[in-house]
Amino acid sequence: MSTASITTKAGPPPSSASPSQPVLRRRGVNREGLEAGRRSTRTILWILLAVAMVLYGFPFLYLLFTSFKTPIDTIAVPPTILPREWTLENYTSALGRSGVVASFINSIQTAVISTLLSLVLAVPAAYGITRYKTPSGRVFIMAALVTRMVPPVAIGIPLASMMSSAGLADTPIALSIAHTTISLPLSIWLMSSFFESVPRDLEEAATVDGCSRLGALWRVVIPVVSGGIAVTAIFAFLASWNEFLFALLMTAIRSQTTPVVIANFQTQFGLDWGSMTALAAVYSIPVILLTLLLQRKIVAGMTLGAVKG
Amino acid sequence: MRISDRRFALYLMTPAALFLAVFVAYPLFRLVADSFFKISPIAGGPRDFVGFQNYVTAFTSEAFTSAGWRTLGYTVVVVALEFTLGLGMALLFTALGKKSQIWRTVFLYPLMIAPIVAGLLWKFLMIDNFGLIGTLLHQAGILSDPNQIGWLSDPNIVLFSVAIPDIWLTTSFMCLVLFAGLQNIPGDLLEAARLDGARAPALLFRIILPLLRPVIAVALVVRGIDAARAFDTILIQTNGGPQSASETMSLLIYRTMIRFGDPGLASAMGTIYLIAMLAIAFVAVATIWRPGKDN
Repeated sequence: MSTASITTKAGPPPSSASPSQPVLRRRGVNREGLEAGRRSTRTILWILLAVAMVLYGFPFLYLLFTSFKTPIDTIAVPPTILPREWTLENYTSALGRSGVVASFINSIQTAVISTLLSLVLAVPAAYGITRYKTPSGRVFIMAALVTRMVPPVAIGIPLASMMSSAGLADTPIALSIAHTTISLPLSIWLMSSFFESVPRDLEEAATVDGCSRLGALWRVVIPVVSGGIAVTAIFAFLASWNEFLFALLMTAIRSQTTPVVIANFQTQFGLDWGSMTALAAVYSIPVILLTLLLQRKIVAGMTLGAVKG
Repeated sequence: MRISDRRFALYLMTPAALFLAVFVAYPLFRLVADSFFKISPIAGGPRDFVGFQNYVTAFTSEAFTSAGWRTLGYTVVVVALEFTLGLGMALLFTALGKKSQIWRTVFLYPLMIAPIVAGLLWKFLMIDNFGLIGTLLHQAGILSDPNQIGWLSDPNIVLFSVAIPDIWLTTSFMCLVLFAGLQNIPGDLLEAARLDGARAPALLFRIILPLLRPVIAVALVVRGIDAARAFDTILIQTNGGPQSASETMSLLIYRTMIRFGDPGLASAMGTIYLIAMLAIAFVAVATIWRPGKDN
């Protein structure tokens, strides 16, 4: 590791002078003023980053390339990286299969319901926890954390049988409730961090002006944390969109989501790698693009969720 | 009429608490209750109370104990590799500073990909015959035959191979968390250490890592819990095979329940698994995090 690797974002660039020389805090030195040694280190680090990014990005690129191969070329021995012939054949065959388009609609429906449910439950709960700091609030947030540790496979079967006794078997509602058991604790945790950063004076001013507590929450606090709500919504959506085990246990034909359909390609249709890669690409690309578009917010949310949770 | 703040807070929390009670706590209660019964897999079939019989069966079954060890091994491999790679990338991004920001975001992309898709695409890379990795290693002259390493078909290494998608998916998460932690290390401290003649390894092990301790603890525990529950990636790659060599606890419980139709035994396994996870997580938090000392 070079000296350059310990520069902090906030701190000054590290001095490249020998350690024995005193007082070398070069605040505000621009990079052109730095010597060759440091610049070459940076070059090496950039090359290292390029290699890492290529290696890290390659698996998904290979999936994309494969999805454009002809079905025979997908399983050619030896395999080629790029398609010998670019075709949309895999896409048309994957999307043309019965149930595939329906599964997309199910995935969207389930994820949207689950996201709304998470927000409706998590926003007031997180506000109650952070704003009033009661003992019950502390117990509740710990309990929510513990639910994060519950293996889905442990509650999946009882949950599925509860849903069928409630007459909800094989519906997007049942699955979205199951997904909410995953996203709700996370949402409460994230929203608590966002509420924590809202100054209390804000609501106090509002209540002095005659707002009720609920009115202050709705009209004053919620608009302030709307960015945080958006981040929480994205995480809740992703948790449901990508979930597989509950979907496998709780859906049959009517409400099957796309991850289950992708997995079924292995057994139901023999090994159709071409269609599988095409469907996987279609399913992943919207969320990857969404992330890149909303990158700042997502990074903030993830860091918050991780460092706090 | 105005209710007290305490009561108002309670009202705000009630809907979420009720939801978790009904859809998490109650199913857990059912799980524990079921573990004391011999249950027919057919709906409405007989249910006989058998006491701790299912627990005895679980602990004496070779499948259960080896799945336990496999889960532990899998978790350690995943978390250790992820941590090492994530820390390396976090240091690299920190060294490159602001200009690397766009790449930091691009680096996050696997986090958005469904585990099932990740498992699928790595299976496709590692599969015998037309898997690309074997072929590339062969063309590079490292392997004499593209199928020399049976990534997913050799019981001795399969547990490592099935861990790769998980590592690939979440190294970004480790990197993100550690990067955030690195930004909080005071520059003066590093500067001072460097002026004292500290070399890079000393800087890393004596200053950076100890200061990152709380962040590292959280990251390891969060990811450890997730890795110990891994299901999707393994199911799609090997379905637990060959010869159960990649059958971790989640898979075993799933198969006991669905394939072997023994919900009672599966519930007992699930209960033991849950208790073990809670115990390990609490011990881990208590020993690494040391709350109160670092916060």
